[in-house]
Amino acid sequence: MIRSLSLLFFLVSNSIFSILEIEILKGSDNLSKVAFVPFGIESGIEGNYGSQISKNIEKNMLLFGEFENLAVNEMLSYPSSENDFYYRDWKVLGVDYSVIGKINSVNALGNLNISYSLFNINRRIKILEGEIVGREDNIEGISKIISNRIYEEITGLRGIFDTKLAYVINSDADTYQMCISDIDGKNEQILFTSKAPIMSPDWSPDRKKIAYVSFENGLAEIFIQDLQSGERDSIQALGMTNSAPVWSPDGRSLALVVSFSGNPDIFLYSINNKRLIRLTNHYGIDTEPSWSPDSKKIIFTSDRSGSPQLYEINTKSKRKKRLTKDGNYNARGRYFPDGKSIFFVHGNDGNFQIATKKLSSRYIETLTSTSLDESPTISPNGNIIIYATKDGSNGYLGGITLDGKSRFSLPVKNGSVREPAWSPLLN
Amino acid sequence: MNKALTSLNTFFLILLFLSLIFSMFSVPNLDIDETQSIKVNFYELIQQDDILFDSPAPTTPMKKETKKTSAINEKTNIDETAIISRFNINKLDVKNEITKIKLSKEREGVLRVSAIIQERISSIWIKPNSLSESLIAKVLINLAPSGEILNFNLIEPSSNTSFNESILTAMNKMTFFEEVLSLERNLFEKNFRNFNLVFKSSGEIE
Repeated sequence: MIRSLSLLFFLVSNSIFSILEIEILKGSDNLSKVAFVPFGIESGIEGNYGSQISKNIEKNMLLFGEFENLAVNEMLSYPSSENDFYYRDWKVLGVDYSVIGKINSVNALGNLNISYSLFNINRRIKILEGEIVGREDNIEGISKIISNRIYEEITGLRGIFDTKLAYVINSDADTYQMCISDIDGKNEQILFTSKAPIMSPDWSPDRKKIAYVSFENGLAEIFIQDLQSGERDSIQALGMTNSAPVWSPDGRSLALVVSFSGNPDIFLYSINNKRLIRLTNHYGIDTEPSWSPDSKKIIFTSDRSGSPQLYEINTKSKRKKRLTKDGNYNARGRYFPDGKSIFFVHGNDGNFQIATKKLSSRYIETLTSTSLDESPTISPNGNIIIYATKDGSNGYLGGITLDGKSRFSLPVKNGSVREPAWSPLLN
Repeated sequence: MNKALTSLNTFFLILLFLSLIFSMFSVPNLDIDETQSIKVNFYELIQQDDILFDSPAPTTPMKKETKKTSAINEKTNIDETAIISRFNINKLDVKNEITKIKLSKEREGVLRVSAIIQERISSIWIKPNSLSESLIAKVLINLAPSGEILNFNLIEPSSNTSFNESILTAMNKMTFFEEVLSLERNLFEKNFRNFNLVFKSSGEIE
């Protein structure tokens, strides 16, 4: 009797209060398909700006393998305004988003007025509409601005198409070049050429200067170079050697490694008053510092436990904490832009790969599958990591999106490319 | 008199407690959590599915299905009577056992359809990259018995707009969950007329 009653009670309560819940944890491995429709041109305007802009936007959006495109010759229509836009033309081709636009006018000064729209085909809504004015000799710049807005609307992340990359090219055994270029490899500039090694470039937060290490005078020395004037200054910190400079988020100081009597430790260097403040003091090697986004902590590599591992130090209390324990090689740590995770080089059985770790978790996730990866740098939106790796003796730059869907390599340069450093965003 | 009432109360409380304990052991495990929700893990299910179902789910129309079911019920009743008369065992126990078997079969049906729905959504949901965030969003689905999605509503959005948008985009790609046609009508009404999809992002790199 009791059993029957209890069963009934259970069934009734269950049927009254429950609703089926199905959990969806895994997403598709497919990429969003985007149609970049050639931009229309108002009658009377000469030139092929329309197709130039849509092609540039397409190149930008496909740069890191995050999207799939629809070929122009597969399109059923070429709308340039909302009135000519029919969702069914794109739905039938499996398109997720469509970008359309139009050159509305060109004035006597050569300024183009361009309008553009982005449609979510599955939701059948226009999700972005904008207008931009720019010079006709700056089509690439205009395209980057539109690409950033489209990227931000689709992904919710900041667009990074106007960021830059600093890197070192070792073109032959005796020539080292400190270079910067746009993130797509265009507009390369050689900042400095030396017969001695150059390493560890790092951008100032305002993108106006680069700090790097040069051995031109025999010992490791830190230089700060102004990108506009090209002027270089050695910071001439004390000690035998100075290396691994990293700008603080406010741009007022550098975290660096100073070696007194051969023992490297982490110091802070104030750029204005040229003062050094010691952060670590250990007989082991402390190197490769990097700031947390809130400037409160610095991550660094130390072999104080017998093998290279990552540690974190509070810049005020100087309290230290070991961050990695798995494996006998974890080095070159950097924080993600949100400060909640780190990425670094993880060594395992002679392979060196890029790995990530949430600070709240003890588990390491290996990202790359090549075996000699080094110097990882992250995009300012925290979505892509570029790293130096090797194909035989030739060094090149590889990249990976953090969802692992896309792996790519950057255009090959004339020589071995090393030490990439991704610039901050332009504010 | 008061003492007697107190004892009676205590007796009923114990009775109620025991009934709850019995209920836990007397029905198949339906994975009911504190909020009385059935949660389904797709990956476990795929494996269970292989073991539990030898043949693919029938996709015959609902009317035929009902006739077939009543025939099975008739046969079950005959079996029940035969078993009771042959072994002279407690009729109530047999009924409870049969209820358990029926519930178990219902559960299998619900799990199978849930797994298919889960897989179909997973195959079209382009999840945005949100490394350090653990996000949850809940969508309420209203289905017609034909499997047509009559309506869906993001009843509990996450704090991340892109995550919410990606879910709405995925839901707009779906029009039918025709898998529910393989279920008996009462099972459909009970479980799939209205149900929730809970989209989760663990915040880990995948």
